[in-house]
Amino acid sequence: MPPPAFLASLRFTVALTGAAVFAGCGNDPNPAPLQRVRADGAPWAVSYRALGDDPRSLDPQVSYDTLGHAIISLLYDPPLEYQPFRTDPYELQPCLLESMPERGRDARGRTTYTLRLKRGLKFDDDPCFVATRGRGREIVASDLAYAFQRIADPAVECPVLSVLQESLPGLGEAYAAAKKAGGFDYAKPLAGVEVVDRYTLRLVLSKPYPQILFWLAMPFAAPVPREAVDYYDGKSHGGETREQFRFHPVGSGAFRLVEWRRNRLLRLERRPGYAATRFPSSGWAAGEEARFRPLAGRPLPLIDEIQFSIIRESVPRWLIFRQGWLDSSGISKDVFGSVLDASRELTSAYRARGVQLHRDASPSTFYLIFNMTDPVLGGNRKLRQAIASAYDRDLANEIFFNGTFLKAEQVVPPGVFGYQAGLKNPWLRHDLALARKLLAEAGWPDGRDPATGRPLELTLDTTVDDPESRQMAEFEKGQIEQLGIRVKVIENLWARQQDKVDRGHFQIVTGGWQADYPDPENFFMLFASRNAPPRGSNHSRYANPEFDRLFDRMSAMDNTPERQELVRHLTAILNEDCPLVLLTHPVTYALNQPWAPRVTSNPLVANAAKYISVDLAMRDRLRREWNRSSMWPAWAAGIGLAAMAAGVFLWSAKRDA
Amino acid sequence: MRDYLIRRLLSAVPILIGVMLLTFVLFFVFQTPRAMALRILGPKAPAEAIENWLHNRGYDKPRFLNLRPGARLWDSQFVNHLSALARFDLGHSDATGEPVLEMFKRGMVPSLLITVPVFVAGLCLAVGAALLLVMARESALDLAGALACVMMMSVPYMVWVIFGQWLMGVRLTWFPAFGFDLSGWSTARFLVLPVALAVFAGLGADTRLYRAIFLEEIRQDYVRTARAKGASGRRILFVHVLKNGMISLVTLVVASLPFLIMGSLVLESFFGIPGLGNLMMNAIRTSDFAVVRASVWLGSLLYLAGLLLTDLAYALVDPRVRFR
Repeated sequence: MPPPAFLASLRFTVALTGAAVFAGCGNDPNPAPLQRVRADGAPWAVSYRALGDDPRSLDPQVSYDTLGHAIISLLYDPPLEYQPFRTDPYELQPCLLESMPERGRDARGRTTYTLRLKRGLKFDDDPCFVATRGRGREIVASDLAYAFQRIADPAVECPVLSVLQESLPGLGEAYAAAKKAGGFDYAKPLAGVEVVDRYTLRLVLSKPYPQILFWLAMPFAAPVPREAVDYYDGKSHGGETREQFRFHPVGSGAFRLVEWRRNRLLRLERRPGYAATRFPSSGWAAGEEARFRPLAGRPLPLIDEIQFSIIRESVPRWLIFRQGWLDSSGISKDVFGSVLDASRELTSAYRARGVQLHRDASPSTFYLIFNMTDPVLGGNRKLRQAIASAYDRDLANEIFFNGTFLKAEQVVPPGVFGYQAGLKNPWLRHDLALARKLLAEAGWPDGRDPATGRPLELTLDTTVDDPESRQMAEFEKGQIEQLGIRVKVIENLWARQQDKVDRGHFQIVTGGWQADYPDPENFFMLFASRNAPPRGSNHSRYANPEFDRLFDRMSAMDNTPERQELVRHLTAILNEDCPLVLLTHPVTYALNQPWAPRVTSNPLVANAAKYISVDLAMRDRLRREWNRSSMWPAWAAGIGLAAMAAGVFLWSAKRDA
Repeated sequence: MRDYLIRRLLSAVPILIGVMLLTFVLFFVFQTPRAMALRILGPKAPAEAIENWLHNRGYDKPRFLNLRPGARLWDSQFVNHLSALARFDLGHSDATGEPVLEMFKRGMVPSLLITVPVFVAGLCLAVGAALLLVMARESALDLAGALACVMMMSVPYMVWVIFGQWLMGVRLTWFPAFGFDLSGWSTARFLVLPVALAVFAGLGADTRLYRAIFLEEIRQDYVRTARAKGASGRRILFVHVLKNGMISLVTLVVASLPFLIMGSLVLESFFGIPGLGNLMMNAIRTSDFAVVRASVWLGSLLYLAGLLLTDLAYALVDPRVRFR
């Protein structure tokens, strides 16, 4: 009888071998779905996506980044949302509200917006709802008011307080009072937020601010249940430690969070009983009629589960997409050349796979910023115009963006009200003769001081977080040095550079702005003198009383021809004053697998996943086809190793003998 | 031995303080706390939000000494951080607000699932291969083995990882090219490839080192005695040489034991394994100083523990060594 130790070793070896054999079965990196079939017998539809990082917070009043909003927008519905198909111009539609907010005036002549909630909408079920034994309760107007109170609570750390407090009375005062008292008094309503009845809320603004509607489409305005905020306090209760609310969402959206493995996976499940929105009945392009008409009015979401894998590196993300384990992907620079041909179309290999390519102009603008308080650059418009005129944006586009980006001629990007198609900025023509002439008129002929003959020296701040920023800074240096000016590149970590920009410790720096909402006010505010740091994001510290006056007028207006004219005027002032060298409006390239075609091209729709559907049979078939594995190399390697071991054994036995 | 231990533990205190001081200074040489707040809150965060964030985390206090009127002298960032760490209060992540201890607990299991098999399998294979080469010493096999070791050492670790990931994950599709799922035996699906690659990538250097150790032993007198007594070559190697060679080997191996907890930066990053290595990399990337300083603290403690364990192990396996 073999000894017990031998048997134990044998068992362990067998188990390990079994595990290894099992381990070799398949290369699917995704965890198994929550279910195989729905309650009605239909197949359980899962969408597989990638995220570049874990969200820092799932608290809608806290998160202010694209990544966080990508998840929060699926978990929490705001009062309004973007129509998924209309992008030129962008259009809002009710989400939690039964209709668009009604604008009016109160007795004191102040602008008001009345918000009426749909009835019967509920928060997700959760143990925090003690009174209803875990059943989600109805969403009411006081929940909307509570969201605004949270914006003013210093403990919440809401990043948009300073923007909203300019037009919404009471926010700033409540914040100051809470700071002084050491805690926020939620029993005291905000001056500008009135709960009219169970389903009606009125916002009273201190000044006309039509952009408030866009804020109502952002997660900051999404109602959260106070029970959940109080319940999930991150403390121990009876030996059980509860999560913090920022990691335990209790929302009103189309999905609910069922699993969050940090650094690995977020799993969302369709929320039973979700009724706030349905698939739109109009708005799509004529060519999409056959695809979307059958879906019109259908309850949302169309899928049962979403798995967001956390994949930080672009290469593994691409490998997994190529194997079919992700339904969509961007195209990183590493693989751009292998996916797209010279005409920026999909290569035949990917076309044969049925992969779909999408190109979308992003509502954002990138530029070089001149420090307008700098003694050399700030007071010398012709010098700034000369530098702008020398810059070859086509070459930059070709080298760094594969020629895909749009050249920016104005700060307002396409799709935003006031964008002027066909406009040509007079100082962005890449005309070296003109640039040299302007430079001479600026008092620096051939880039030198005529009195001393010494060249003009400027600094260009750049980040060193990625090699591309360095290369781009070298390119920008070369562009300016064509004029005889000397440029010193200063390399910073991103955060350090932001700090320097905020303190005004730079001469030229790279910058960009992505629309918070599609309104020209969101771009022109970058040049309002009152928004200079630390108060705002006027990083160039541009100050022009005429611009400020027109900006204030334009900001308070609805989208009328008169406003359009004001936007033209503001654009002309900026283009002439040249506080920036406008560079690009980025164009994003995205791919979808044939089984999960994209629904919306609207980059402002963060909750697009609720509209998508998946052809499960096609996915299963193509995944099998794309991941056929051959085992002969394993057998060959095994046999080779065994032969080698036998040879060594025989050789040593012979040597011992 | 007790006195020796006390002396060693006391000498660790200034080392730990020095390491933390260096980390603190280096971290804030490259960026101010304000820049850190900007990175975490995003470039659009307004000034009030940044001030509020700094205040809530104590980053608005002076760096080392608080000379503000009415304030306690030691109420500063560095002293507060150090005293909290000394009490093993690791604090909360600057980026997410999550307790760092929870993050460490969560990351430790995936890290150990990678490093322990790599350690055990790597050690066994490298010792086995080294003994084989010693057995075949001064033969063509020995020469070929030594050459193979040098070749394996010459290829950078990252190249092995990238090539292996491409070959076995993408080309042959035997294993997931990326990902991790902690769910019983099926976790092995995600471990086999990174573990195999790490073992393979380290095999050349380890085999060469252990071969040198065993060659040193095989020239000793006791080997000649054993041979004179008629012991077979395999018995001499696997009983006498291996046992004595273990003295040197154990001291090398024990020192690396505490580091198994800290995971593997490269492997975890390339395969998306949510371990402590990945956590550390991410903390540096996102300017999460709370996680960085806690990781450095833990790493320093483990390093010191490793040194201490090495000394103890050396004395335990070699009776000639005494503590003084």
